[in-house]
Amino acid sequence: MPSAYDFPGGVYLPERKQRSSQATLIEAPLPSRVTLPLQQHSGQPATPCVAPGDRVKVGSVIANREGMISSNLHTSISGTVTEVTTAQITIESDGQDEWFRLPSLDWRSAGRHELLERLNESGIVGLGGAGFPSHIKARVDERHAIDTLVINAAECEPYITADDLALRHYPGEILEGAQIIAKLCGARHIVIGIEDNKPEAIGALQQALADSQPVPVELTVIPTRYPSGGERQLIKKLLDLNVPSGGLPADVGVLCHNPGTLLAILHAVLDGQPLVSRIVTLTGEAIAQPGNRWVRLGTSVKELLEEAGVNHSALNQVIQGGPMMGTPLLTLDTPVTKLTNCLIAATLDELPPPPAESPCIRCGECESVCPVALLPQQLHWYARAQDDTKLERYHLFDCIECGACSYVCPSHIPLVVDYREAKSRLRLQRIEATKAEHAKHRFEFRQARLAREEAEKQARKQARQAQQRRPSNTATSSSEKVDLRGLRIAHAAAKASVKKAEKTLARVAQEDPKQSLDDLEMQLATAQENLKAAEWQLAQAREQQSPDSASKESP
Amino acid sequence: MSMMHASGVNDAAKATNVPPTASLMRWVIIATLPGIATMSYFFGLGVISNVLLAAAFGVALEAAVLRLRRRPIRVMLNDSSALLTGVLLGASLPPASPWWLIGVGMIAAIVVAKQLYGGLGHNPFNPAMVGYALLLVSFPTYMTLWAPPQGLIPDGLWAQIAGTLPTAQLDSLSGATPLDAFKHKGDAVLASEFWATSPLPEGTLNAWRWVGLAWLAGGVLLLAKRIISWHIPVAMVGSLVVLATLFYLSDPSHFASPLFHLLTGATLFGAFFIATDPVSAATSRRGKLLYGVGIGALVITIRTFGGYPDAVAFAVLLMNLCVPLLDLYSVPRPTGQPKATSGKPGERL
Repeated sequence: MPSAYDFPGGVYLPERKQRSSQATLIEAPLPSRVTLPLQQHSGQPATPCVAPGDRVKVGSVIANREGMISSNLHTSISGTVTEVTTAQITIESDGQDEWFRLPSLDWRSAGRHELLERLNESGIVGLGGAGFPSHIKARVDERHAIDTLVINAAECEPYITADDLALRHYPGEILEGAQIIAKLCGARHIVIGIEDNKPEAIGALQQALADSQPVPVELTVIPTRYPSGGERQLIKKLLDLNVPSGGLPADVGVLCHNPGTLLAILHAVLDGQPLVSRIVTLTGEAIAQPGNRWVRLGTSVKELLEEAGVNHSALNQVIQGGPMMGTPLLTLDTPVTKLTNCLIAATLDELPPPPAESPCIRCGECESVCPVALLPQQLHWYARAQDDTKLERYHLFDCIECGACSYVCPSHIPLVVDYREAKSRLRLQRIEATKAEHAKHRFEFRQARLAREEAEKQARKQARQAQQRRPSNTATSSSEKVDLRGLRIAHAAAKASVKKAEKTLARVAQEDPKQSLDDLEMQLATAQENLKAAEWQLAQAREQQSPDSASKESP
Repeated sequence: MSMMHASGVNDAAKATNVPPTASLMRWVIIATLPGIATMSYFFGLGVISNVLLAAAFGVALEAAVLRLRRRPIRVMLNDSSALLTGVLLGASLPPASPWWLIGVGMIAAIVVAKQLYGGLGHNPFNPAMVGYALLLVSFPTYMTLWAPPQGLIPDGLWAQIAGTLPTAQLDSLSGATPLDAFKHKGDAVLASEFWATSPLPEGTLNAWRWVGLAWLAGGVLLLAKRIISWHIPVAMVGSLVVLATLFYLSDPSHFASPLFHLLTGATLFGAFFIATDPVSAATSRRGKLLYGVGIGALVITIRTFGGYPDAVAFAVLLMNLCVPLLDLYSVPRPTGQPKATSGKPGERL
């Protein structure tokens, strides 16, 4: 299907997908031990709820979500907890592979709350890379009307074929997962965006399309061009909508999900199976048996590569993620997490290090490939000069770090590295600036907590008094003025500020998953304390008044 | 992080990628070959001696300054940019220019215009054109006399290069370029009358046309290899032709035809090899278009109303001056940023 819309820039990369896409999808062997980091998602790390020595089954919760933007964590094997640290939990397998599953839910009849709770319990996060908790994302319609759910199946980075394989094997399931999300967010259309280099997945989807009910699904095949799988780029390409700078797809009525996430959602709802495994692409010239595997979370990367026949003498580096945006692993003793979509065991010939950097000759090639229409060369200039005002004015924070500019740079300047450094420096400055603000918020929280405790105490005291008084049936003097209306207004205001704090937190977390959310969580907690205090006061006031009204009514 | 980079990709895809900076420079040098060969064919070996001398000066001066600046000489010479500057200046000079003239030009180009500003990537002005402009204003006798086409080895070639030829004899050897001749025809002489007198030595106009076409061929090679983008040459040639046509239509008896402007002088050489120097040109696509239009307009303006017969060097240098301004005012709007609503343009930056 021709697409009339386009995003600026982009590059045509060597795809190198054949090696892993030709092999069939198989289960990786059950690991004898898994290491599960507490932070496999954006937001706050989860809090462990098991101790060393505890027996666990596949799917038992081992760490609970902490704060609003966080996610539960489950074991991926059955066995014994051997170690719990502040960063991770280690489990030794008993080889039984016993499961603990939640009851199956019929999503068509299940209520909204039930479904959201299921996503929350199952620890589902976005498997495309950002790891944003899906239950928070599904609640987006509380703030924005969602018209279209986009299934981002572009998978535009070279090497990676995890979504391709998932779509070929589970097209119906993925579409059903999409229907669940469409139901939750109220989307009226589902659009699948897929690059034309995945004919088998496209065929599988076309067959499954007809059976997908009740929201109509449209399949749009787009030309292969990096980075068409960028959320904003794909939305532009499919729907010709511009997500505003600093905003979210929801601002233009769109929600984006990765096929793998939708599959996990369906498994969570239908089979009651929490997120304990994912599809990982194992590829690269240094691997003898490339392909996609269902891998239990926490499996060691080293074991996984060994099993796939890694040639250590040829191996130069292992990259987690794609060759454009992924990161080289410093050690292979690292576990597969919810975010590991691809492991590339690359030889030196395959992905050679860039030659030495030479001066920028202002050729402008970077500008012509930038998918956000930034001026990478000016940004490079100002990033090196640490000219922060100019960096902000040239919209550094609109950069999606796709690496197209670094890819084409004839002078081999690591542009994205510069931008990342500049971004983190600017973020640090902002954090410094907000520290004072943070202290103020801490103080406010303390005040709110004390006020709530006071209100609670008052209410209990009064309840006791009322109980003592009731037998004697002496009504409280109506002269004691109770400003019920004022309290109701205060209560509504407190409720609104909780909503507002939740909204801000969700927005910030989704925009920038790397940012610390302590302060916003604190503000939310403050608002919640205030709300509780207001509730107590209101309840207390009603209590006071009800005898009055009762006594008024009786005569 | 981008572990992949275009020059590290050994796939078929590589053919469509931009080559690294050093080979970019070498491609430009290769693309000058048709032009230099055609010029030598018509104007003699003096063209080749110009290019070789200027290139040698370029590399030697660059090495000397890099040494003074304590920079890695071998690594930085490897980018071939000094060699290219030499080739370009050598090709712009009148054939068989004396060695000292070339030397002075290259000192201005490499030492002053390039290295004193910080070396490759930091020079605001096109080095070759700085050298050319300096020579043009300092040594007009040598710079404005262009030998008529007379075979590979013209008379007094070696004496001319060695700088031992007396100035009086220079005049007898050299003639004027077509642009020069046309400029000095005088207001009273109509264009048709001027051409009727066959003012130029036999074959001059024809030689210039062939040279122009040879530069065009080199330019097409650069475009095909994606070494340069089309924006600057097209904008420059476009504005030059449009303006020349307007003048010509308003008074064909006094103004030269657009084809004359296009094919003689340094128009096509300038459009593909000089104005496209990325370092001193505007960077955004919109900026490049404006930059090219500016050069074309200035060339016609100076040729028609100014004191010099050709004007590519001055036009390019003047537009180099405008680059910071062009860059500032031609910033594209990033996707997702709101459209500029109010306020003065450029206020955001």
